[in-house]
Amino acid sequence: MKINLPLVVKTLTGFIREETRKAGFDRVILGLSGGLDSTVCAYLAVRALGPQKVLTLIMPYRDLDREGVAHARKVARLLKVKFREIDISPQVDAYFAAFPTDNPVLKGNKMARERMSILYDFSAREKALILGTSNKTELLIGYGTIHGDMACGINPMGDLYKTQVRELGRHLRIPKEILVKKPTAGLWPGQTDEGEIGLSYEELDRILYLLVDRRQKPDEVVAAGFERKKVKRIVEMIKKSEFKRKMPPIAKISSRTVGHDFLYPYDWGK
Amino acid sequence: MKIALAQISPVLGDPERNLKLHLDYIRKAVSRKADLVVFPELSLTGYTLKDLAAELALNPRKSPAFKKLLEASRSIDLVFGFVEEAADDPGPVYNAAAYLSRGRILHIHRKVFLPTSGMFEEGRFFAAGRQFRPFDAGKVKTGLLVCRDFLHYGSSYCHFAGGAGLIITISAAPGRGVDEPRSPGFQTSRMWELMGEAVSFFSSAVVVYCNRVGYEDGAVFAGGSFIYSPFGKKIAQLPYLDEKFEVIEVDLQEIGRARKSWPFRRDERPEVIWQSLEKIIRENHED
Repeated sequence: MKINLPLVVKTLTGFIREETRKAGFDRVILGLSGGLDSTVCAYLAVRALGPQKVLTLIMPYRDLDREGVAHARKVARLLKVKFREIDISPQVDAYFAAFPTDNPVLKGNKMARERMSILYDFSAREKALILGTSNKTELLIGYGTIHGDMACGINPMGDLYKTQVRELGRHLRIPKEILVKKPTAGLWPGQTDEGEIGLSYEELDRILYLLVDRRQKPDEVVAAGFERKKVKRIVEMIKKSEFKRKMPPIAKISSRTVGHDFLYPYDWGK
Repeated sequence: MKIALAQISPVLGDPERNLKLHLDYIRKAVSRKADLVVFPELSLTGYTLKDLAAELALNPRKSPAFKKLLEASRSIDLVFGFVEEAADDPGPVYNAAAYLSRGRILHIHRKVFLPTSGMFEEGRFFAAGRQFRPFDAGKVKTGLLVCRDFLHYGSSYCHFAGGAGLIITISAAPGRGVDEPRSPGFQTSRMWELMGEAVSFFSSAVVVYCNRVGYEDGAVFAGGSFIYSPFGKKIAQLPYLDEKFEVIEVDLQEIGRARKSWPFRRDERPEVIWQSLEKIIRENHED
């Protein structure tokens, strides 16, 4: 699972530069959570376009992740990129005052979609393309909010597993405290991804790598030394989240239909 | 012979801009006194065409773009990629490579092996070519291949058996595989070079590989174009991922020298291969 770091940086910075231009933008915008993924993404963006062309938004909900906000500010200052802090508490609280719930996942999804909605608004105001920060691990197991943190203009990091993103972060010399802290989706105080998923990223990524990149069958992965229960769970998570990785199906009734047999490239004419 | 490699990034689905790009590089190659300039696969249209393939298909006998390129070929030989729709058989479109020289079309090769698996879907949008035929390009008998054709070693064998001393592959090969920390390029780049080395050495032929760069729909084209001598020695290696134009002096006398040192060509028995293949094919079909 080791990756050729200089080649990855060259490929991804080229991707950001070229796709931003093709989309008709000369700058990008992304949300900074103070976590690993958005930090690494910001570092890549600055390498690709320079700090003047990278805008960042820090969008906390109340005091849910104070450490994250401090880390995000630090990243923005270190990279010398413009940042703006937008507290999403008023709009989230207003909504849940009308429709109360104790379910932290519902709250987390709502927060992710508020941030998405703000990012898209600022994308239009600032004429900046939104960089997505979902990694391959999250995309595969569906650990993200559809139309929330998964929404973006382009995604430079979606083919890197979480542990590879960390390796890349070390290579890009991101702040050490961000490299070593436990990843969190910020759903509730003290929440960690690994606690919620029930697996360490190291183990999760190794199993995903065998299943996906090496095309091994679940039984073969078990034979390679992983717990059957865990392998089975991961396979289920992949299956259940396919809808998050696809455009919704369109009922086909005509002889030529969007998504079925009306097929054009994304980068058409660019 | 001076061969120019134009490792470019065509605009996807914009033949007019790409024609201009070609003419710019042709002028550059002429000013550098090159005899031949080679562009990548589908260089006039871009690669990830999908439904655009049918819409952008050209008839070489009628197309205004071809007319301009034929004019340009009065000063330099050209190899480039385009979507072909034959005048006498409208409907099917081909992923094709053209060799133009002195205002004439010397050869058009239609890609035989259309990758249609994983990230590739060429078989969905293109018809497959049906032959490999080397042709006389003036200075040297030449064989054309398009991308995946080259990875099926029977393709190069046909050119070798047909007497080609120069095998040109135009390519739009995406880079894949980054888990070799010490390799300078993608794992797939190594695959192309491996084939280039083997084919050039065992065919005692000059092998030219022109790949493109740039990004389309998330895929990155790896570049890394190269030329191998008839002794299997790498004489040109363009960078991975970066746009690049380079003119390389190729000594065609090396073909004869290599074939005297290693008489693979003299000792080749295509009729034995043909008879064996015939038997194999017949037996397989009798299953």
